Amino acid sequence: MATRPIKVKITYCAECGYEPQTLALTETLMKAFQHDLSSIELIPWYEGSFDVSVDGEIVHSMYRDGGFGNPNDIVGAVKRRLAEAGS
Amino acid sequence: MAVTRERFEQGLTYEQYKEQMTRNRDRLEAAEGGFTPSESDLAAFRGLPKTLNVLAIAEDWCGDVIANLPILGKLAAESGKLNVRIFLRDQNLDLIDQYLKEGKYRSIPVFVFFDDSFQELGHFIERPASVTELRAQKRLELYAQNPDFGSPDSPVDQLPEEVRVRLAQATAQSREETTPWANSEVVRALRKIAERVPAGS
Repeated sequence: MATRPIKVKITYCAECGYEPQTLALTETLMKAFQHDLSSIELIPWYEGSFDVSVDGEIVHSMYRDGGFGNPNDIVGAVKRRLAEAGS
Repeated sequence: MAVTRERFEQGLTYEQYKEQMTRNRDRLEAAEGGFTPSESDLAAFRGLPKTLNVLAIAEDWCGDVIANLPILGKLAAESGKLNVRIFLRDQNLDLIDQYLKEGKYRSIPVFVFFDDSFQELGHFIERPASVTELRAQKRLELYAQNPDFGSPDSPVDQLPEEVRVRLAQATAQSREETTPWANSEVVRALRKIAERVPAGS
């Protein structure tokens, strides 16, 4: 477990109907990490956003990377950040 | 695959579409109420030589559908020259895949205009480019006027929550202020397509 709080934030375009993808990723993270994350924050936004940040670092951006991202890659990014925080 | 009259007739009328909506009907009807076509635009549609068939692809969760479908619906109702049928995108992937934005995105709404023999006259996808450009320009102005919003290139999730809420409110206000102009751009785009119908057809 990380020695300090690790937060995940998902910024999604609420007017684009990205709720299903947002909730699916949230569920994946909840099941994968349980108490290891201090919080998962969902931020309804505009402009076609679907951005995921871990501990302040963007690990997926629809604008930058295209699409909703591979959930396995996002889980991997969280794992790496948790490992760094715990070391 | 070409759209046939038989397939077209399977679509929902505008009223049927509204009836089956599971969310955002209040927003759609507010957009309807906020749009009044100009007399010159109505005259242009009323003056079309024949009624056109307009296939629309939509979903009730989409902001651009909520903004733009009522414009088509109202032009159809008030001109009597647009026969509209609406298809739900996710149940009609064969249709949306014929009208991908930039060849890859299933963006909606899509409005496809057909003449009486189902020859396509043209189509509209999502919103006019001019509206996207204006929004981008307004966004930059908003950031320039409010240094506490940070850089327009920075992720909003890194802003303090209080600042982020103000940015969201300012963005919503900017959208509201530009809506009448955006509506006129949508009408302009639809009118341009409709007027491609030859006078003798």
